[in-house]
Amino acid sequence: MRHTTVCAALVLLASTGIARAETEVKVWSWGSAAPALEATLEGFNALHPDIKLTVDKLGYSDVKSRVLAACAAGGTGLPDLFQFQNTEMELITAQFPDCAADLVPLGFDADQQAAFPEFKMFALRQGDRVVGMPWDSGPVVMFYRRDFYEKAGVDVASIETWDDFQEAGKAVQAANPGVTMINDNLNGGAEFVRMIGEEQGCGYFSSDGESITVSQPGCVAALEVVKSLKDQKLMTAADFNGKLQNNGAGVVATQMSGAWFEGSVRNNAPEDQHGKWGIMAMPSVTAGGSRAANFGGSLLAINNNSRVKEAAFTYLSYALGSNEGQITMLREQGLVPSLISALDDPYVSEPSEFWGGQKIWELVLGRLEKIAPINGTEYFSDADQVVIANQTAYLAGGFDSAQAAMDDAAKQISFATGLPIAE
Amino acid sequence: MRQRTQTAYGFLSPYLLIFAIFWLWPIIHSFYLSFLSTRRQPWSFNPGMTWGRLTQDPAFYNALWNTLKILAIQVPVMLTLATLLAVLLNSTLLRARGLIRFAFFAPVVIGEAAYAAVFRLMFNDEFGIVNKTLEGIGLDAVSWFSNPTAAMSLIIIAVTWRWVGYNAIIILSGLQSIPQDVYEAATLDRVSPRQQFLYITLPLLKPVIVFCLVLSVIGSMQLFAEPYLITNLGGPGGATETLGLYLYKQAFLNLNFGYASAIAYTIAALAVSISILNLWLGRERS
Repeated sequence: MRHTTVCAALVLLASTGIARAETEVKVWSWGSAAPALEATLEGFNALHPDIKLTVDKLGYSDVKSRVLAACAAGGTGLPDLFQFQNTEMELITAQFPDCAADLVPLGFDADQQAAFPEFKMFALRQGDRVVGMPWDSGPVVMFYRRDFYEKAGVDVASIETWDDFQEAGKAVQAANPGVTMINDNLNGGAEFVRMIGEEQGCGYFSSDGESITVSQPGCVAALEVVKSLKDQKLMTAADFNGKLQNNGAGVVATQMSGAWFEGSVRNNAPEDQHGKWGIMAMPSVTAGGSRAANFGGSLLAINNNSRVKEAAFTYLSYALGSNEGQITMLREQGLVPSLISALDDPYVSEPSEFWGGQKIWELVLGRLEKIAPINGTEYFSDADQVVIANQTAYLAGGFDSAQAAMDDAAKQISFATGLPIAE
Repeated sequence: MRQRTQTAYGFLSPYLLIFAIFWLWPIIHSFYLSFLSTRRQPWSFNPGMTWGRLTQDPAFYNALWNTLKILAIQVPVMLTLATLLAVLLNSTLLRARGLIRFAFFAPVVIGEAAYAAVFRLMFNDEFGIVNKTLEGIGLDAVSWFSNPTAAMSLIIIAVTWRWVGYNAIIILSGLQSIPQDVYEAATLDRVSPRQQFLYITLPLLKPVIVFCLVLSVIGSMQLFAEPYLITNLGGPGGATETLGLYLYKQAFLNLNFGYASAIAYTIAALAVSISILNLWLGRERS
């Protein structure tokens, strides 16, 4: 009997010894975020050779649906770490409060939390718990082809409003046959409506999340801009991969997105496009507008059932919580740090060769402080589906005006959520 | 006797247990869920947020309308093509019969994800072979993924491509069970081949075609993979959103399980009533 106990203890010791020698941490991630994580591994493993990170790169909607399904199943099948969009995190905290681990007991104390801006922390607080670490933010900018604009004699400094942009678009398309001015993911999203609306201070929901604001003037104006771009044939539909294909084929002059799109543009551009791209601030609906909005930006959360929470948190502290980790991801994939101290890193003021020597990060980060925080709420998906459907109907002539389309959207969202429509 | 019944149930019990846990219980539980508002924890009894919403939700009616459109257009087109194909495959003039029959049946064997990816490439607006061909013969390119009507046509084309061969093989087996001497007698009476098809083949095939019809109707009611994978979650803007996809979005993207359960019960009720209608139309008159 005693022998067996000793043997068992030895086996246990040996197995924990093996586990200590190499702890494996698995993560689900999408887009350029996945290779960004891989890029941090060299620096991370120099400090922690005992922790091995495996990155599963999936599509954005695959990560989202698989995480939600796994949370619904009590965390079964969830990896140790998963990426999620900030605006959508409340969906998880509202329905599956135990799915993501509380990071506070793991060491995410008040000082560390204060290292991130409040607009990123907002969606992660659940009472005293903090259910994720902020990753990147997505100041909206325009990525444009300098050569196409120059050929048309368009000076980007003269583009301040969407009216200016449309005038420029006509010139660019006339001077560059076969080129479209800009792409929006019209068939699968309401991305421009969200970005342009946010620039005007309008989100789907009020900042306290208690009423529906989608029919407010800012959001209506955004839908009008989209319709005008489409009607003048300055905009065609393309999803994430479609945009990159069009970039590569040289058939589009501009892309508007969160700054995290930088790495995708740069790393997918053919050799002969190096130096031909530039970045400018997004236009405003009104002259003198903020020209700033946030689109996308994620967090990493730890699976509450993970057996290697400490190791996972150690990785988070390096990749997201240190300047070294964040600047590596900025350099390799263009992920804009939400860690405040990383914004003072010397790398940020360096000119970028791919972008024609432009100091792009100064421009991008200059947008950050002008961004008005938007509350996604746990009803974000509900609202987004309704707005996408009404956008399609409005573009096809199904509503008399943008106001009518958004009034109808507000009514439907109210019905789905039980929230009132803001006056 | 009683002893034997017990033994039989004993042997059946592993299956019955699994059936009870994974089929019966979810079916009952989702009926209960369909009366709850599941928007925020804790869930509360509020049928107005589920059944009440169902009666006046434009997105639900859009999905229902899309499903009925597919049902009304795709199923008759597919079954007509399948019947013609079956007659051709049954022709005595046909060489390499087995190979050709397999070729038409093959689409069913291909995984949904793989064929969806190929369709997306073929119908790509800018670079796809379909638009390049249309332009090559002097027609306008079609925005397959942006234009609501074109996107719906694309779904119908894809589903028809995938399932026409499968139905043709079933109908072919029906054709082969029609006795040859009926045709011989008709030929002796100088009945033309066209009339033979209309007055002999079709009436005798009726039970098989009704069987295919019921299968196709149920399949259409559950249509999910094509709008999910080919038109990117029922795009553009819900133009190809089917009931199955709308149910999925409510349950697993919006986490609104109560409403999703109400939709599930509605889909099941619709499928049952349409199938009963089909069987009634196809019943044998004695």
